[in-house]
Amino acid sequence: MEIIGDDKKLRALYSEAKHADEATTPSFASVWHRAQARSLKPRRAFSLSFAVVTALLLLTLGSLAVWSMYSPRRNEQQAVKNDSAPGAVPPVNSPEQSKPDEGVTVAQKTPPAPVETPVHRTVKPRVRRPTTTQSDGQLLAANQPAKETTIDTWQSPTAALLSSPTDGLFKSVPQLNENANEMKSVLPGRSNDKEK
Amino acid sequence: MTIDPMEIADFKAELERLHSASFGWALSCCRRDATEAEEVLQTVYLKILEGKARFRGESSLKTWLFAVIRKTAATEYRRRLLRSFRLAAGTEEIEDRISPFDNQTEIFERSEAQTHFAGALKELPKRQREALHLVFYEDLSLREAAEVMGVSIGSARQHYERGKKKLRESLTRLEMGYGNNWGRQETSSAV
Repeated sequence: MEIIGDDKKLRALYSEAKHADEATTPSFASVWHRAQARSLKPRRAFSLSFAVVTALLLLTLGSLAVWSMYSPRRNEQQAVKNDSAPGAVPPVNSPEQSKPDEGVTVAQKTPPAPVETPVHRTVKPRVRRPTTTQSDGQLLAANQPAKETTIDTWQSPTAALLSSPTDGLFKSVPQLNENANEMKSVLPGRSNDKEK
Repeated sequence: MTIDPMEIADFKAELERLHSASFGWALSCCRRDATEAEEVLQTVYLKILEGKARFRGESSLKTWLFAVIRKTAATEYRRRLLRSFRLAAGTEEIEDRISPFDNQTEIFERSEAQTHFAGALKELPKRQREALHLVFYEDLSLREAAEVMGVSIGSARQHYERGKKKLRESLTRLEMGYGNNWGRQETSSAV
């Protein structure tokens, strides 16, 4: 780089400044030793701001986890899931349980599950629910053939009240173009006797 | 992570050789604030000791060291600025740091020409001031100056030329006595 004219003057000014700076330059040893001391000094491992941020984060995550664990929505979902599980109570029972009259005898054979409202549920039964439901389901599955037979032969206790002596009249229908004699079988016995 | 002690010993000798030039460059990067320049240099040595700044031989040691000093000074300046804003110390403190020769005794110690020169330098944009400092003060070539500044050689040349022109104008305005000479001796083949 060729330096001529004003560059020389600039260089002279810079050179003068450099000499002035050299007079104020701290010794290398002092700067180096201070840097060494800084490097040897143990760094503060605990940062307050970092700790606060971490604590807040953990607290938020924890509360979120707790909330999601005990939220009623999740419990309802869990209950639905348990009800629709393969080991759960088979759907054969459900229509009979819905009938108030028939439920008496069914209830004698298989005790109905206690009615649980989601609001009043406690934590423990909820946690145990899958296992208890499974065991109930297994028991019910074992008793299923016996139950099916009883249902086939089952009759309502009030069915006898519905039967009457004239039931036969309604079970046979008179034919058109039949004379009275032929209609004997259809007509009640008392009227037939009078004609005789 | 730390460097091998043998490596450090060799490095230390080289750093000691360049210490004066490094301090001059740190002064330029820290707007002529000696205390800040010393702190920056100390941080640079710390970075070297901890292995955060490693010389890989991709350039000369001097240009590498100057680049580290420049980066460290910029980081320290930002940090100070942020701290001063945070503490609501106001801009007064920053202005105090920026103004280079507020200390009256220092002003008297320097020659009048030097004071004017420092004032003219202060008016220059940072990049131009850096380019001129690296070429005239540190005796680096434009290529080396570009390496230190982290710009292309063309960009460094631009900064250098513009800086020179602006400095000449400032010096003329400040009536240093060179005013007439600057215009007559201007040449395009300076670089």
